[in-house]
This record gives sequence, structure tokens and C-alpha cells, in this order.
Amino acid sequence: MDATAGQFASEGVGSIFLYTHEAHPGENYPRLTSMEQKFRHARDLREVLGVMRPILVDALDGACHRAYGSMPNMSWIFAQSGVPVYKADWTDTRSIQNALEYFLDVSERRRSGERLTPFRVERLDFRIQDQTAFYKGLERNGAKAVREFRAAFG
Amino acid sequence: MTHDDLLSRYNYDEFVPAKFEPWMRFEAGPPLGQPAPDFPLRHLNGEETRLSEIWLRHRYLIVEFGSFT
Repeated sequence: MDATAGQFASEGVGSIFLYTHEAHPGENYPRLTSMEQKFRHARDLREVLGVMRPILVDALDGACHRAYGSMPNMSWIFAQSGVPVYKADWTDTRSIQNALEYFLDVSERRRSGERLTPFRVERLDFRIQDQTAFYKGLERNGAKAVREFRAAFG
Repeated sequence: MTHDDLLSRYNYDEFVPAKFEPWMRFEAGPPLGQPAPDFPLRHLNGEETRLSEIWLRHRYLIVEFGSFT
């Protein structure tokens, strides 16, 4: 997602990572019990995982995350007016790129004089499922996280 | 539910369906095309901001929700 953020930055598109709660708590990254711990885990996102986008931290009770549906890795795109124009229950770079290209083209079409009105569309997008990388991530959290995921999903 | 209960349930201690499934509520999120709810957030240095302060600065804003785990 950092590469996508860079790709669209010159078009006035911003991109942030919003830190929520630990989806797979383990020995190394247990459940959150304080804002100090939440900031520490969020900083590791940058220092250990190399996330370069601005990282913002939600309240300890997840007020923002819960209001938006509290999925573990969802993505939203907001227009400057604060109106959401895209929401996905999972984050996928290609899906977001595709949506941004469409929205930026809408701006161009409006500039060229087309009269456009919004409508709603539902679509099923597809993301890569990389089990090896996923389990590697779980191992970073601790053996407990791996055990619990296996017990839940096999 | 008390605020302490909410903190404990939202920040669940183990990944078991009884604890994580109640939070998978994507359909309950705000609709597209209507002004979205605003919330206070913090930068990594602890500085306070709001989601609206960030979306106002950009033509479009991508928000990825997630955590280390």
C-alpha cells in the first residue's frame, strides 16, 4: 500500500494507516490494555514492518474502528468533503488503484464539461491469498497467535 | 456494557470466534455517498488530530485500518 500511496500522491491523494486493535494477539503482541502500549505497537508497524504512510492511532476503545464496521484490515476512500466513496472489507492494492483511477477520471470528465451524477455499485473484487506470508506474520506475534488461528480455521 | 467491559471485549485476549466474530460488522458501517462520522485520532508522537482534519487536506484520502497483528 505504501507504493500505491506514492503512485497517487502527486494527484492529491493522501493515504494513512489507522491503528486499531490486535486481531491475533500473541506472546509478543498481546491484547492492548493502555494507549502507551498501543503507541508502542503502532511504532513497530513502522520500525519492524516498514510501513511508511502516516500512522494514526484510534482510541483504546476503537471508537472510530467500531463505527466503520471494525473489520481487521478494511479500507475506505474519502472525498475531500468527508463523504466515503469506496469501502472494502479487506485491503487490496489493485482494488484501491482501480477505484482511484476511476475517481480521478471522474474529475477529468467533469472538468471537460460532462454532467455526472453518482450511483451505487456493488462488485466482488479478488485479492491474493498468501498463506505462507500470513503464517509468517502470525509467528511474529507469538506461538499463541498461530495456535489460535489454526484452531479457528484449520 | 460498561466502558471497562467494552475495552476488554474490543481488545480481546484470544482469537476465538466468540471473541472476534462480534466485531466483524462491515455491513453496519456508514453508507457511501453521505457525510461520514468524524473521530479524534492521534499521531504517533501523541499529537491530537481528527479524521476530518486529514480528509480535508486531500482530494481523496485512503484509510487502511489494521494493526501489527
